[in-house]
Amino acid sequence: MKFLVNKDLEHASLLKNLMAGVVFALFFYFILDVVLHAYVIGLDVSTLSTTLFGNPDEFMEPILIDTLLLQVHIDLFMALFSIMIVASIYIRLHNKKVMTKWLVHALFILGLFTPILLMIAYFTNVWFITIWLVTFILGHLLAMWMSLLILKKLLFK
Amino acid sequence: MKKLHLYHIPIAYMLLYVVAILISGIWLFLLSQGLASADILQTLTHIATTPEPKSLHNFIEVATPHMFAIGTLIFVVAHFMLFSTNVSKKFSLRISLMLFTVALFNVLAYLFISFGLVVSGWIKLFSLALFVLVFLFMLGMVAFSL
Repeated sequence: MKFLVNKDLEHASLLKNLMAGVVFALFFYFILDVVLHAYVIGLDVSTLSTTLFGNPDEFMEPILIDTLLLQVHIDLFMALFSIMIVASIYIRLHNKKVMTKWLVHALFILGLFTPILLMIAYFTNVWFITIWLVTFILGHLLAMWMSLLILKKLLFK
Repeated sequence: MKKLHLYHIPIAYMLLYVVAILISGIWLFLLSQGLASADILQTLTHIATTPEPKSLHNFIEVATPHMFAIGTLIFVVAHFMLFSTNVSKKFSLRISLMLFTVALFNVLAYLFISFGLVVSGWIKLFSLALFVLVFLFMLGMVAFSL
């Protein structure tokens, strides 16, 4: 993070392009992460509840707690790094805007609570699946939007 | 650089994320040792007396991503101590190196059990407890520096 803070972007085209590159990659990571979750656990209430609670009519077993927890463990790790990078660069470029503070707070809170809500849904009921779905989609959309704002500032200014 | 204090937000949240990662990691480890069918105390006793057998394949499967993930995570957390004015660089260096060593010991601990060098699972429990404590101490140092 230190290099992000110290370098003057006007005279550091390499750093500017490197930042654009990593954010570009992360933008596609956020899209693919949604697709991956759709494949692994589902992205609608009915598929998700079948994954988490099983379906006795179709003889489908619920997901094993080990498998779900491993997914949550990995999600937390990936979210930490991806959000840290996006948030740090966003702060670097948009530090004069009042909204920056709240956007960064929202991004981190959504990223942290999404995996936790999935575990809560597994142990409780279908209502938390809806909340998980909303936070998951909102978190990813926010991250993508912030990535686009960064790219706009880096490439088109 | 103006508004440097905004960087306190990602650093503070990083501490929470790392705690959540540590908790889910410990939970996963206990589940692999039979937590689902027993309580925590029973599981800990089971690990200490007769840890679950693990093949070299199982060990490599778990150790490989953890070598990368733990190494990177310690680096990211510890490098924030470069900005600290409350804790000396020398002390930060010592704790960071200790954390890297303990993490390596923790990842490799199950290898001693797998190869039959140690019959009891106390080594894994001890290394895990030590790793979590030192990591929490490092997180505390970063939090104190904020």
